[in-house]
Formats: sequence, structure tokens, C-alpha cells
Amino acid sequence: MAGSKKLKTALLYVLAFVVLIIMVFPYLYMILSSLAPWEQVDRKIIPTKLTLRSYEWLFTGGDGVVPRPWLRAFFNSIFVTLSSTVLMLVTAILVGYSLAKLKFKGSRFLNNVILFQMFYPAVILLIPLFLIVRYSGMYDTYWAMILPKAVSLWAIFMYTNFFRSIPDELIEAAKMDGAGQLTIIARIVLPMSKSITTIIFLFLFMERWVELLWDMLVVNNEKMLTLNVLLAQMFGPYGAYPGPMYAASVLLTFPILILFIIFSKNFKEGMQFVLK
Amino acid sequence: MASPYLIYSIIFFLFPLCWAIYLAFTNWNLIAPDYEMVGLQNFIEAFFSKSVRAAFWVTYKFMLMFVPIVIAGSLCLALIIHSLPKLKGLFSVGYFLPYLASGVASAIVVNGVLSYNSPLNTFFRHSFGLDIDWLGSPILAPLIIALMMAWKFMGYYALLFLSGLESIPKEIYEAAEIDGAVGWKRFWHVTVPMLYPSFYTVTILAVGLMFGIFTEPYVLTGGGPDYSTHTWQLEIYNQAFEKLNAGYGTAIAIINSVVTFASILVFRKVLEKWGARHGWE
Amino acid sequence: MKKKGFTKLIAALLVVALIGTGCQGQNEGKNAKGDGANNVVEIDFWAAPNPTQQSFWKKMADGYMKEHKNVKIKVSPMPESPSSEAGIQSAIASGHAPVISENISRGFAAQLAASHAIVPLDEFKGFAELISKRQMKETISGWKFADNHQYVLPIYSNAMLFAWRMDVLKELGYDAPPKTYSEVIELGKKLKKKYPDKFLWARADLVKPTWWARWFDFFMLYNAASNGNNFIKGNKFVADDEAGVKTLQFFSDLSKNDLLLTREATDPFENATAIMVDLGPWTFPYWAEKFPEMEFKQNYVLSLPPVPDDVDPNNVKTFADTKGLVIYASATKEQQQAAFDFIKWVYSDANNDLAWFKQTNLPPARDDLSTNEAFASYLAENPQLKQYAENIPNAIPPMDNEKTVEIQELIGKEALNPVVKGQKTADKAWEDMKKAINGVLK
Repeated sequence: MAGSKKLKTALLYVLAFVVLIIMVFPYLYMILSSLAPWEQVDRKIIPTKLTLRSYEWLFTGGDGVVPRPWLRAFFNSIFVTLSSTVLMLVTAILVGYSLAKLKFKGSRFLNNVILFQMFYPAVILLIPLFLIVRYSGMYDTYWAMILPKAVSLWAIFMYTNFFRSIPDELIEAAKMDGAGQLTIIARIVLPMSKSITTIIFLFLFMERWVELLWDMLVVNNEKMLTLNVLLAQMFGPYGAYPGPMYAASVLLTFPILILFIIFSKNFKEGMQFVLK
Repeated sequence: MASPYLIYSIIFFLFPLCWAIYLAFTNWNLIAPDYEMVGLQNFIEAFFSKSVRAAFWVTYKFMLMFVPIVIAGSLCLALIIHSLPKLKGLFSVGYFLPYLASGVASAIVVNGVLSYNSPLNTFFRHSFGLDIDWLGSPILAPLIIALMMAWKFMGYYALLFLSGLESIPKEIYEAAEIDGAVGWKRFWHVTVPMLYPSFYTVTILAVGLMFGIFTEPYVLTGGGPDYSTHTWQLEIYNQAFEKLNAGYGTAIAIINSVVTFASILVFRKVLEKWGARHGWE
Repeated sequence: MKKKGFTKLIAALLVVALIGTGCQGQNEGKNAKGDGANNVVEIDFWAAPNPTQQSFWKKMADGYMKEHKNVKIKVSPMPESPSSEAGIQSAIASGHAPVISENISRGFAAQLAASHAIVPLDEFKGFAELISKRQMKETISGWKFADNHQYVLPIYSNAMLFAWRMDVLKELGYDAPPKTYSEVIELGKKLKKKYPDKFLWARADLVKPTWWARWFDFFMLYNAASNGNNFIKGNKFVADDEAGVKTLQFFSDLSKNDLLLTREATDPFENATAIMVDLGPWTFPYWAEKFPEMEFKQNYVLSLPPVPDDVDPNNVKTFADTKGLVIYASATKEQQQAAFDFIKWVYSDANNDLAWFKQTNLPPARDDLSTNEAFASYLAENPQLKQYAENIPNAIPPMDNEKTVEIQELIGKEALNPVVKGQKTADKAWEDMKKAINGVLK
């Protein structure tokens, strides 16, 4: 009967909503705790009043104390993540296109190289890469964080598959018109890949943003740390100041959430594409 | 056009790879100016090392906890989204949000929620007289981390299941209905088998994930208690960067890679066999 | 076609590279040699990961640089993760060690000296003068290494004390903290009767093998129980077995009576969840900010560690949490001397020690702390600090063995952790620990 179906649907929505609250609960807890008075942090779930004390403390460090460079770390994170992601996208597009569309002598070899790299757990390279960074003088620089992580095999894989699905005729036509490879990529291929590029960008960005191990290894100087690493370092010593820890977590998390929600439409479109 | 990539690969992949293989046979300790080739000693030491063995078993322990939970969870999420007539997009995005969290930030929240005087523990103590040592128990600690990771990945895997669900042709359901399969029966005998490709992908992804766990145990438990959350990456990090045993650490990394590779291979074979038996190629 | 594309790509990468170099972060020559022309020497000073200490050194550096234009001192906090010691080791390993740093313990210095990473301070011009000006002769005598050199200049010495919640003690009928093991257990039983939810001592580290944690639990009690008997001398295990077993037995009894909280808890002492805690004077600035209601003699009192029943409860020894400055061998001779001159300047004025004391609450490592007029009024205003200053002679510094980290980890793993968890008896724990430590010392 129509009535019971409506009821079923309504209940389903309630369920979906409850599940949603559970899923985002940690974020809610994070932001509420960052705004809670210090006696209530981790004591009450919903604070009775709100205060900016945790944020203040984070940036000014309280009485007579030198604060940690949270904002600087935030910008470090943005710079490093953005640079890495852009480089990853650029290389993936170029290599993916080469593999998908260009017939050249080494293409089978390249294909195999990439496949091999994909299945090779990166952990073996950890120590030698660290040593390369150390011996080449890149230690404690942005280069150390960006360069070794400038390539994403997953992205190459995705783009290769995607480009394969672009009809060759389009490319031939452009070539007829005298377009060079880069022009073809820029004028034809890229506009077609808006959705998938958004997805890849979002995934790469997010994965790079939350990286801990590598950024922790190659940088020592406090001013160069990414926000994620700085937060991890403060886990112990600031443990007694949970309010500011939550404030720093919000600084780390919410920009990504907001970025993501802004692009959620593209994300949805892209996912449709990727998953089918 | 791809040659810069090849150059990059040589510098950042091939060269370090060779160096790693060389390092694994030395006893270098990152500071000392001299070191020796020690043959297989690093590997033998690793084989007998309590912490390396712990890392080996801990991975499978996490797997046992994480994989079923995350598959069940993400399947449920996918089913919920799939059954909603409207607002699918909203909930897909919403359930995906946990994936964006940094392990460090989630650890802070978990630490806070599980701290001694938190509302959760106070509730347990006053209502049930239970004082649960969440992160101090060798069984609960890994479970907590497994749950944290499941929370993070559920929304992501749900999308994979969702696309699988949405691609099941309506005709199959109609045919099943004619045969009298509805509700649970339909779910187990029609939907689930049709989701095989999604199950395959999610399982392999989930399993592969287990070999690279680092951030959560590093921040939350430091590998304890009693090595119960001591993962491969943690062991490598400890050996190479805290104790400065670069040679030994690299040997462990190699062992880790081999184990990972082999395990995933086994899983794939098993899954493919199962799929073949039920009609999938 | 392809060639053109290739060229364009290289051009693009070059542009990115140029931009990247332009935005390159603070890499101001960590170990830069002095600029010959102007003779400006640059020094990297690593302060402890404690904000108050960083603040102090920044002020000192600014003051010094005003008077000495040819020196540039950059103060930054040392990396802390996983521990400040590991941070320093990896800095040395990657060739990025600073010129000078504080926060170095005796044991860690032994390790550094053994791998020639730090230089003997007594070989610097002006060392004897510094010692006499700062009245450190007694204090520093305990820091000599086996090769008869001094590698560390101790900055502060915290004679570790236990704090007790006097308000709760009063409710239980006590007007002074217990002094012997039995008295403590008795107090504990009374506590549990009245407040079953409270504990005597909340300390998550009791069940962790963290090596430096042993300073603040095991060694505080062992030093008291053994009346300051050395644990390791040179490369030999010389601990007092009887005292050691009694100490472990005490932990075992506390654990059996459910008096220990080994879970992570935030501020258990401040919230009166636990009524006793190992307390260092660095906590006072923390209380001033977060728990201003903690008042000496009202909410809390300080005492030396409790002792086994058959030991004299007067004149008890405790642990000295003391750390100091070292100068690194990787710096140039110029930088090393400049760093030493900076330190000499700082410590030639007792008022700087007073400023340190006020800002960090860590008692300066001076023989004349409780007698020098400069500190008298500050100590009078802060009677809780007076107790720390007075007990400096009773405090035993940490061992100076190269393998301090491993040894102390073994104390945790083989003895303290299992005893607290109820997995071993005190005797077995001590035997196992002894065996393991002897194995390491070979």
C-alpha cells in the first residue's frame, strides 16, 4: 500500500541521516571541542558555552611562551601539497597520453616499467630516498617534500585508461589541422577530462595533505614542517592542552572538508565516470 | 614526451631500489663513517627478531578485524544510498567525508573520547562498573585502530559498491522475482554474487592497505601495548630512523615487500578462483 | 612535433624549478661558516621543547647580540618526535646538527661523547672562570666523565619530589604525607574505602617501557630506598639488590591494592582523581595557566619519596632530573668558541639565572641556590620552589652509561612493567632485569 511505502521511505531517510551523523561525528566533536572551555574538553560532548581560548592559545602560546608556527605550517602544507599534486597531474597527463595515444619505440617497455612500479611496495625505497635527500642537500627544504613525491602511478594509470577511451579520430583530425602534441592535449584532451581530473586532483591532494611519514623524515626545522607533522609532534607535549590540539586539528581538517564540499558536484560527476 | 618521466624514475626509483638492495646487506648505522658487508645477517636477525615477527602477525590481525568490518559497513552504506529515491548525492558525499581526515586528527579525537574522564568512560563506569582500558589492552587497541580505519574507508568503498549495485540490470531482479526470490533471499542469491567485481576490488584494496599502516599506531599507541599494534612500517621506522640501523631497516623493508606481494597474490588467486566457480571470468 | 613538445616540457619544468627555488624556505646555512669579510659567526641554538625555556634563550640571545654585533644566534626548539634524543641523533646523522643545544642528560651525553659528536667543554678558554663565577664547583663535580673531561654544563637540577593532595589527605585524617611504604599502603586502603574511584598514583608510563620515564618512577624510589647507591658504575651493574627488590615489591603492593591508575588520563592529580604524583617544578607555570586554584600547603604539599619500612625516613635521597648544554663537534672551531662565549656571558650574571628560575621554575644548577641573596626573595615568595632548592644536595643525577636508553628500557620491560601488571613477582623481576642488563653491558 502506498502509505506503508511512504513510511518505509521516511524511515530509510531517518536511518540514512542517523548514519550520516555517526559518520561525521568525529568532525563535529573536533570542532565543538576546539571551541569548548578547557574544563569541559573531553568531559562533555556538547559544551555549555563557547570560547575562542584554544585558538588564541594556539597562536599566542599563552603567558610568556613562544607559540608554535601553526599558520606557517598551514601554508607549508598548502604549498607542498599543491605543488606535489600539480606535478603529479602534469606527469600523469603527459605519460598517460603518451602511453594511450602515441606509438613510439619504448611504449611497451614504459608500460611494463609502470606496471612494475605500481606493484612494487614503495616501502623499500624509503631509506634510500631519505639518503638521497640527505646527501643532495635537499634536507629541510621544500624540494625534499615535493620532488620525491611528484609522481603518482595511480594517476598515470587512471589517465592512461581514460585517454584510451578518447576516439583516435578526434586526435587525427587535430593533427590534420597542424596541431602539435601539446596543443592537442591542451585544446582537446584536457577539456574532455574535466571530471576525471577533478577527481584525480581531489584524491591526490587529499592523500598528500595527510601524509605523515615522509614529511616527518625529511624535515627537521620547525618552520618547514607541514601542519600534519607539527600536529603529530605536539601529540605528546600538548597532550595536556587538548583544547588547542583540537583547534589545530580543525585547522588541519576543515579546509579539506570545505574544499571538497565546494567541488562535490564535480566529484559526483567524476565518480560516476570513474566507476562505470 | 615521456622521457622526463623515465629520467625521474631512474633517479627516484631505480637508483634507490638498487641502493636498497645493497644496503640490506650492510650493517651501516647512518652516522658511522664505516660499515661492513654482513651478508644475510640482517635477514637472519630480522627473522628471529621479536618485533619483526610481531609486525608480521599484527598485519594479519588487523586484516581479520578491518576487512570484514569495512566490507560489511561499506556494503550497508551503499545499500542505504542505493535505496534512497532522492538525495543520493548528498549522502554519498556525506559518507565519504571521513576519508578526508588525517590520521593524526582522528587520533586526537579518539584519544580524547577514550580518555579516562571522558563522557564515554564515565558512562561505562557509572552504569556498568566497567573500567575499560581501551588503548592498553592488546586486543582492544588494534580493534580501535581497525575501527578508525574502517570509519575512514567505509564511505570510499561504499562508492565502489554503489556503482556495482547500480550496474546490476533490472532484468536480473525481475527474473529473480519471477522465481520467487525476494527480500533476504534476493540479496544473498542475486545481489551479492552480482557484486563480485566490487567485492574483489574492495577486498584487494582493503588487504593491501593493511601492509602500510603507520600514522594511527605511531601517534596513538606507539606500537604497543606489547607490540599488539606494531606494524611493518612502524618497525622499519624504529629501526632505521630511531635506532639508526639503516642496513637492518632496509632488510626489513625488503622482507615487508615480499610478504605484501605474496599475500596479495594469494588473496587474488583465492578470489579469482571463487569468482570463476560462480561464473565470473 | 615530439621534439617541440619535449622542449616545451623542459621549459615548463625549469620555470617550476625557478619558482620553487625562489620560494625555498628558511635554509639559512645551518652550519654556515663565518663570513670572512665581516666575521659574523652564525650559531644555531637548539632549546628544549619547553616553551618557557625557548622564551628564555631567545631573550638571552637578543641581549647578547645587542652587545656583540659579530655573532648571530638563532634559537629554535629541538625536534621532539619520537624523543628529543632521537631528534638530535637524526640531525647529527643528516649533517644538520646545531652548534649548541640544551636539554642533554648525562646518559645521553655519554652516548654522544662516545661517538665523538660533542666536544669537551673544559678545553675551552674561560671554562674555569665560568665555573667559579657561577658557583658550580660542587654541582659540576658529579658530572665528570670517565675520561676526566666535562662534556655538559648543567643548567638546572630538579630534585624530584612527590606532591600530595593535602586536601584529600586531611579528609582521610592525615596532616602530613606518609613516609614509609607501609604508611603509604595504609593511606591507600583508607583512600579506597572512602573514595573507591580514586587512586593513589596515576601514571600511564608505569606500564610502558619508555626509558626516560624510569627517572620519575623507579629511580625516585630506588634512590630513596638504597640511600643513593649507584645503579651502574662505569660498565658494571652495582645496584643494591635488596633495596631494588623492596622498591619493586612496593609497586607490586600498590598495584595489588588497586592504587595505581595506568590508563591515560588528563590531569588526574589536578582533578584529585589521584592524590600523589611525581612532580617537577616545571609543572608550576602549567598550573598557573590551567589550574590557578592549586595552592601550596592548601591543596598540595611536597615530600621526598617514601622509603621501605626499615630505612630512616629522614635524610632521604631522590632523583635529580638535571640537564645541560653541550657543544657539537660538527660546528667549526669559530662557532664552538662563539657559542661557549655566549654561555659564559649568560652565566656570569646571577640575575640571568634568576630570570631563568622565574620563567621556567627550574632550579639553576648552582651550589649557592639556597644561600645566594639574588634568589632569596624569589624563594621566599615561592616556598614550593624553596623545597626543591633545598633538596638539590639530596638528588642523585642519572647514570652516565652509553647504553642508558637500553638499560632503562630493560628496567621497564623486565621489571617495572610486569610487576605493575601483576605478571611477575618482585624477586623474579629483579633477577630477570639484572640478567638482561648484564647482557647489555658486556
